[in-house]
Amino acid sequence: MNLRRDLTFSELNMRPRQSLVANPEACTGCRTCETVCSLVKVGRIQPESARLRVEREPFEGLFRPHVCRQCSTPHCLRACPEKAIGISPKTGAVIIDRSKCQGCGSCAEACPFGMIVFQAEEGQAAKCDLCGGQPNCLRVCPTSALGLVFFGPRSEG
Amino acid sequence: MRPESGGWAGGILRVDLSGRSSRVSPSEPYVERFVGGLGLAAKIAWDEISPGCSALGAENKLIFAAGPLTGTLAPGSGRLEVVAKSPRTYPQETVTRSGLGGHWGRELKLAGYDALVLEGRAERPVYLLIRRDGVEFHPAEDLWGQDTFATQKLLRRRHGPRSQAVCIGPAGENQVLSATIMSETSFCAGKSGFGAVMGAKKVKAVVVDGSGGSIGVAHPGRLIQLQAHYRELLGVSPMREWTVGYVPPAHHLEFFNNYRSGNASCFGCPLQCMAFVRVPGLEPSQISCVNWFYLNPAHDYYGPGLEADQAFWSANLLSNKLGLDTFELAGVAPWLKDLYQAGLIDEKSAGLPLSRFGSREYISQLIESIAFRRGLGDVLALGAARAAEKLPGAWPIYERYYPAHGQTEHDSVRNFPGIALLWALDSRDPMIDHHAYRHLSVTRLRWPQPHGLTREQAEAAAEKIFGDKTAIDHSTYQAKARAVAYCQNRSCVMNALVLCDLLYPIFISQSRSDRLGDTAAESRLFSAVTGRETTEPELDLIGERIFTLERAIMVREGRTRAEDTLHQGHFQDLAQDSPAARAGGTGYGLAADDSRAVPRADFERAKTEYYNIRGYDPETGVPTRQTLLDLGLEEVAAELWPQGSAGPAAGPAGERGDP
Repeated sequence: MNLRRDLTFSELNMRPRQSLVANPEACTGCRTCETVCSLVKVGRIQPESARLRVEREPFEGLFRPHVCRQCSTPHCLRACPEKAIGISPKTGAVIIDRSKCQGCGSCAEACPFGMIVFQAEEGQAAKCDLCGGQPNCLRVCPTSALGLVFFGPRSEG
Repeated sequence: MRPESGGWAGGILRVDLSGRSSRVSPSEPYVERFVGGLGLAAKIAWDEISPGCSALGAENKLIFAAGPLTGTLAPGSGRLEVVAKSPRTYPQETVTRSGLGGHWGRELKLAGYDALVLEGRAERPVYLLIRRDGVEFHPAEDLWGQDTFATQKLLRRRHGPRSQAVCIGPAGENQVLSATIMSETSFCAGKSGFGAVMGAKKVKAVVVDGSGGSIGVAHPGRLIQLQAHYRELLGVSPMREWTVGYVPPAHHLEFFNNYRSGNASCFGCPLQCMAFVRVPGLEPSQISCVNWFYLNPAHDYYGPGLEADQAFWSANLLSNKLGLDTFELAGVAPWLKDLYQAGLIDEKSAGLPLSRFGSREYISQLIESIAFRRGLGDVLALGAARAAEKLPGAWPIYERYYPAHGQTEHDSVRNFPGIALLWALDSRDPMIDHHAYRHLSVTRLRWPQPHGLTREQAEAAAEKIFGDKTAIDHSTYQAKARAVAYCQNRSCVMNALVLCDLLYPIFISQSRSDRLGDTAAESRLFSAVTGRETTEPELDLIGERIFTLERAIMVREGRTRAEDTLHQGHFQDLAQDSPAARAGGTGYGLAADDSRAVPRADFERAKTEYYNIRGYDPETGVPTRQTLLDLGLEEVAAELWPQGSAGPAAGPAGERGDP
């Protein structure tokens, strides 16, 4: 897998990157994002395999989409003993190389946001890879409750 | 490569409440002919609910049936159908249906079940917890008597936020015939009195946690493309802004501006026809469509302001918390006001503040009296029709709000011939399943641009869908029979899959300039999800089969052509100065000049045309033996037309007609 590994702290921290952002006020809790994510990633509708999740509080009217932040300093990446996690040169996203993942769970333990999922059948970790820069969840969200932002140096002008 | 088969979860879970046991059978034997949802449930009802069964007896079966598209990426796939013998239908109890949106249907499928059948009756109050590894019976004495919000909040704490519940409130426990089955704050199987059936079975709630489960999809890529295509074609409906299908009055929009915190939706839905609302001093809740029933009376009583908004909001909250159908209340509340004004009931004997229609006290006390069966509420708990039989002089005014089957007006049967036929030929309010025809022929013609339809656009769509633009001409009964039969078949397809009636069939597009929709959407989505390549005509045939199976169930219960009618008052002009004419309807009738009579001769001629189109005997309304065989309903033919008999096997004698 063509991933950038062994980056220094500053290279990692200052890298240009894309990230999903969630807008809970616009979310209606329909879970279409979760559904399409699991369909794309595992070919079935399986909420636990979705790389994002919607927390619903139906008696408060609160619907909170939780997405991977593609952290500037990814705890998951640093925690992986196999160095199976690297950075996509194209999007700056934090990617798990499944050919290296042993399923030890260190990344899941390290993630402060609970965004690492385990695909039960294969025993490997998985996470949001931004679908290569065109996230399917973003495409299907009927309310624009999800957005894609760019972090990094701005060009002049 | 052979595609993975998808859609169905595979199991039917049967819970014997009397024996506290459960068993699972495959859904596969039902799939080929009846698909799922309404079709599967109607087949179970045909096989297992005897015509003499009492709706509130232990022998009734309460069937919750999802379909192959429930819980998938298909737009509007958050629904399932509930089917049982209904205690609410009038004049006699009959097997009927009620849809339920939200998130519970998906969870049931993730747990591994296409359907849940509740059989028998528990000795003491129970709730069920369903997971992939089985069913648990839990005592529900501590929940019995609690409202639907409190019940679900407690169950969520007990079984985790992933769990989804359906439950009943005190109205269902007390077997009020207009009691609902509730999920969350306003997802509701409301029309068919199934809350009373669940209460009679002493089941307070059914909690499902489908953790670890999945739903297969045969062609994921195709499904994703179709989802995008149909979401785009459907476009943005103003119902997202209004939550109702008509142009709302200014104070409705003002209410939203003040109190809406966001929109809400069922699972998998782009429409978002519900809003989430916070009114100061009261609990927050979702609101949609008929939940608005007390807004106008409250504003007339108090004038604009917080007091009126609180009165209206408490009506919505209280009916959903106690588990009463708001559509029933939309008819009962003004009907009682009229009875009071006509001097037919009084405050003292009713035990209600009848002179204060529009006040918070009026509606709160009315709802509580029905849910807890106190005073006049004990009579109203039988449903408006049966109550109207008991209250001297009440029937003519009752009819103003109730077209047929004891269910509240939902589009004027006087004004719209197609809608009159849909009402007459159904077992319940049909309009929930026929939003598409209603929107094409009535509602959207009244919407402002850019949302609305011009007459020319509507006629072009009708020409394309029905082959005849007269199908939406409300001045004549011509061309209605065929359109009605087609719409019924399509509603059966939709309810078998199960998809939402606010989106399907797609008669109209909000995004195309010519507004033409696409009636092939269901078959394309069904093929992509299940891998069973099925054309639109093939699905239509399944819809026709399911409709005729429902018809056969009614026939076995005693239904004939004579009962395919409206309450008889609708065949007479209303004198403009009669109390009934002054009543002015519920506001859901969209009636401009609805004092005119339904023309009986035209109506009956259209019925004859309809039976001939369907292959039913026009004398009796019974499907002929040949029709049943043509539709692949051999077992129905064998029972309705026993060997050597000249006529159909007689059903039990039902109550007939109106008093």
